[in-house]
Amino acid sequence: MITLPYADQKIGQKEMVFIVANVVIGVGILTFPRTLAAKTGSIDGWISILISGLVASVIGWLLGKLASRFPANSFFEYASLIVSRPVAQVITFLVGIYFLLFVSFEARALGNIAKQYLFTTTPVEVITLAFLLIVQYAVAGTRIALLRLNMLFFPIVLLISAVVQLYSIQMLELDNVRPLFTTGLGALLQGSKEVNLSFSGYEVVLFYTLLMTRAEDAPKAVVKGLLIPIFLYLTIYIFVIGVFSAEVVKNLTYPTIELAKDVEVPGGFIERVESLFFTIWIMTIFNSCTVFFDLAIFNLGSIFPNVRKFTWLLIISPLVYMISLWPQNLVQFFSLGDQLVYFGIFITYLVPILLLLIAKWRGVRGDE
Amino acid sequence: MFRRVWEKWKNEAVASRRKQQSSHSDQQASNKTPLSESLQENLDIIKQRLGNPQDLIIRPFLIDNSGRACAVACIDGLVDSELVHDKVVKHIQLLMSPAGKAIPAPDEDIMAFMLNEVLSIIEVKTGTTMEEVLDAMLVGDTAFFVDGSHTTILIDSRGWETRGIEEPVSEGLVRGPRDGFNENIRDNTVRIRRRVRDPKLRFDATTVGRRSKTDLIVAYIEDIAHPNIVNEIKRRISTIDIDQVEESGYIEQWIEDNFLSPFPQVQNTERPDKVASALFQGRVAIILDGTPMVLLAPVTLGIMLHSPEDFYERWMVGSLARVLRYLASYLAVFSPALYIALVTFHPGLIPSDLAFSIAATRDGVPFPAAVESLIMVTTMELLQEAGLRLPKPIGQTVGIVGGLVIGEAAVSAGIVSPVMVIVVAITAIASFAIPSYNLAIAFRMIRFGAMLAAAMFGLYGVVLAFILIVIHLTNLTSIGVPYLAPLAPQLVSDWKDYILRAPITFFKKRPDMLQTKDKTRMKAGRSQ
Repeated sequence: MITLPYADQKIGQKEMVFIVANVVIGVGILTFPRTLAAKTGSIDGWISILISGLVASVIGWLLGKLASRFPANSFFEYASLIVSRPVAQVITFLVGIYFLLFVSFEARALGNIAKQYLFTTTPVEVITLAFLLIVQYAVAGTRIALLRLNMLFFPIVLLISAVVQLYSIQMLELDNVRPLFTTGLGALLQGSKEVNLSFSGYEVVLFYTLLMTRAEDAPKAVVKGLLIPIFLYLTIYIFVIGVFSAEVVKNLTYPTIELAKDVEVPGGFIERVESLFFTIWIMTIFNSCTVFFDLAIFNLGSIFPNVRKFTWLLIISPLVYMISLWPQNLVQFFSLGDQLVYFGIFITYLVPILLLLIAKWRGVRGDE
Repeated sequence: MFRRVWEKWKNEAVASRRKQQSSHSDQQASNKTPLSESLQENLDIIKQRLGNPQDLIIRPFLIDNSGRACAVACIDGLVDSELVHDKVVKHIQLLMSPAGKAIPAPDEDIMAFMLNEVLSIIEVKTGTTMEEVLDAMLVGDTAFFVDGSHTTILIDSRGWETRGIEEPVSEGLVRGPRDGFNENIRDNTVRIRRRVRDPKLRFDATTVGRRSKTDLIVAYIEDIAHPNIVNEIKRRISTIDIDQVEESGYIEQWIEDNFLSPFPQVQNTERPDKVASALFQGRVAIILDGTPMVLLAPVTLGIMLHSPEDFYERWMVGSLARVLRYLASYLAVFSPALYIALVTFHPGLIPSDLAFSIAATRDGVPFPAAVESLIMVTTMELLQEAGLRLPKPIGQTVGIVGGLVIGEAAVSAGIVSPVMVIVVAITAIASFAIPSYNLAIAFRMIRFGAMLAAAMFGLYGVVLAFILIVIHLTNLTSIGVPYLAPLAPQLVSDWKDYILRAPITFFKKRPDMLQTKDKTRMKAGRSQ
């Protein structure tokens, strides 16, 4: 097989920015206004978004720093360099499990929403299965093609969110927004904790920096990538609260989709925009899923290098499917999501930051 | 996984073939028959090897008045008999040597004398084995033997009836040159040379087909095309090992990157202007004798949707036509699927008034929308296929009878709804708007998959089908060039010749996705 210079397996800073943004924007954006409104009770939640965005950026920057210290090593390799091989094996295994669980969670979330908004009679098992099969097909291809898919779908996703917001402008009511600055600092921080869960995903920088042509750009790329979701979350939150008021939003399961539901396209060309919105939103959920799936295989595969990628796919896929069907109802489902995110915070934020500190302290560097 | 299995299988096949090939060529080397000194013996062997066919011409005669016997042998119809007569037989019989030298007596000199003094023909070579002679004769050369000499002169006397240069049938244009390729490889290379008067234009010739020995030429401009692309194409062509090659489709299917893909990974055309512009872009043309279809590689989805006319018309016209074609490709693939999804699963998405009228027209239709679409789309495919096979005037009648009469009758019989007929008509028209016939076929195939997905999962299924196709396309390559370039990977500098076509003065660089050696197309752009 020949390779032309640009068609190699490398990504640039621009790609990294988009991948981070795309992975972060997933299911979280559809639900976060509810939890945020429940905690803050007013429009002031935007401050929480800013706070959590800032926290995410700082963590992301640190993760980027860690990864760019080892521009040619995989996560498992540099973890082994920093804290001995056995410890690295445990960490990498947990990371792989975390991504595996995350895929299950997102797939189930997609199944739930599709069942609620697109077809009520089709069982969620079938919806999830169809989706997971497509994700597996994407993961079975090359890693670079998967990242290029992200680049392809991202503009479509941004466009549809912009359209929904644009058409919501006429439904904004100032009464819903006022009064400003009534929420206490405690509630704001609580709220920002909730939003933080929706920012998870930027940890991909730990694993994909390996593919970057200039690894030293990684920290910058993460922060730039996070700016897009921060901005999107801010506008979505303001619009959702502005249209429905905080009291109503607390009781909507998927406030962002409900926002699309109220949109009326002039001319009556299309009705029930929320179905269309969600249909297109499948693309971004798909993107996050493929990336997480790929990382699950990548991390588990780096511990057991003798097993081929395709074998991993065959082992993991049924697992993912079964786990995704685990929660019996929405309450269980969301609590699974919360626990998952706490697990993720520990294993993909705290542990890598610890790794960075140890690396600095011991002066470990990767091969150039 | 399929790819891996395929590659493994292919590698084994190639390896075993190499083994065969090497043993084969060893055999050949040892089996070669040297020419005899006796004229009669040589002629007898030729007759015997070819089975003394009716179209074999052997003409023995004497050199001038020296009494030395000689003969010409050729295949009737493959040679220009006038040329053989005027420049070979006549010259030798009358020995019109301008220098007026005497005929040399020693055996060895007579051939050199013939070459240097007598035969006034440009392309001549000498041969020493019977295999060489036979191969050359079957191509259209004339073999000249002299009694007592064990070498022969092979005179290029090819000349046979060919189809004239006609307008390409499959790729009509309103504006643009009217000439097309024909079945003669020499005529085709001439058409390209006439357009590319660049000394760096390369025609690398080889033959393919163990028995058919068809001429094949790989054409490219040496200081533009990336050497990796050229070498890879040549390497793949060198692995071809079949007995006969009828058409360039054989080559295409042998050198394509992924045989499981519905998408064509090599472009074909019978327009010389298309080939010339592809060569200047840094792509490679593969010309095969006996077919007007010239292959162009690498190709991307974008290139397949372009037409040369985009550049002949002004840029706004070209851009709009392209936007229309991209829209047409979506319609060609997804419109029946969308119809099924909307009518079966999401009638709420359609504006209420329209939903009511669709429901009213579907009243009495006994089938679900999926079956209804399947019937109509299949009928459409049948009509298309039938119209293709029939002679032109009847083909049009079939179109009218099929399209209008059956459609109308089906609606009034209550088998399908009128909206369905509209949808099918739009789908068909959209697929005709796609400039590459083989891409349109790919879309037609995928359409059925999309319909199936829509029948099962509605809009959700349509989006999954779309994602599936895009995954496949991002993984697909054509001679190593990503099929979705310049969209994935993003090569922003190539976007001016993608969905929109920028004004001609903006094209200062050659396409980035082909990584050409000489990148500059124009020095300064518009100078005013």
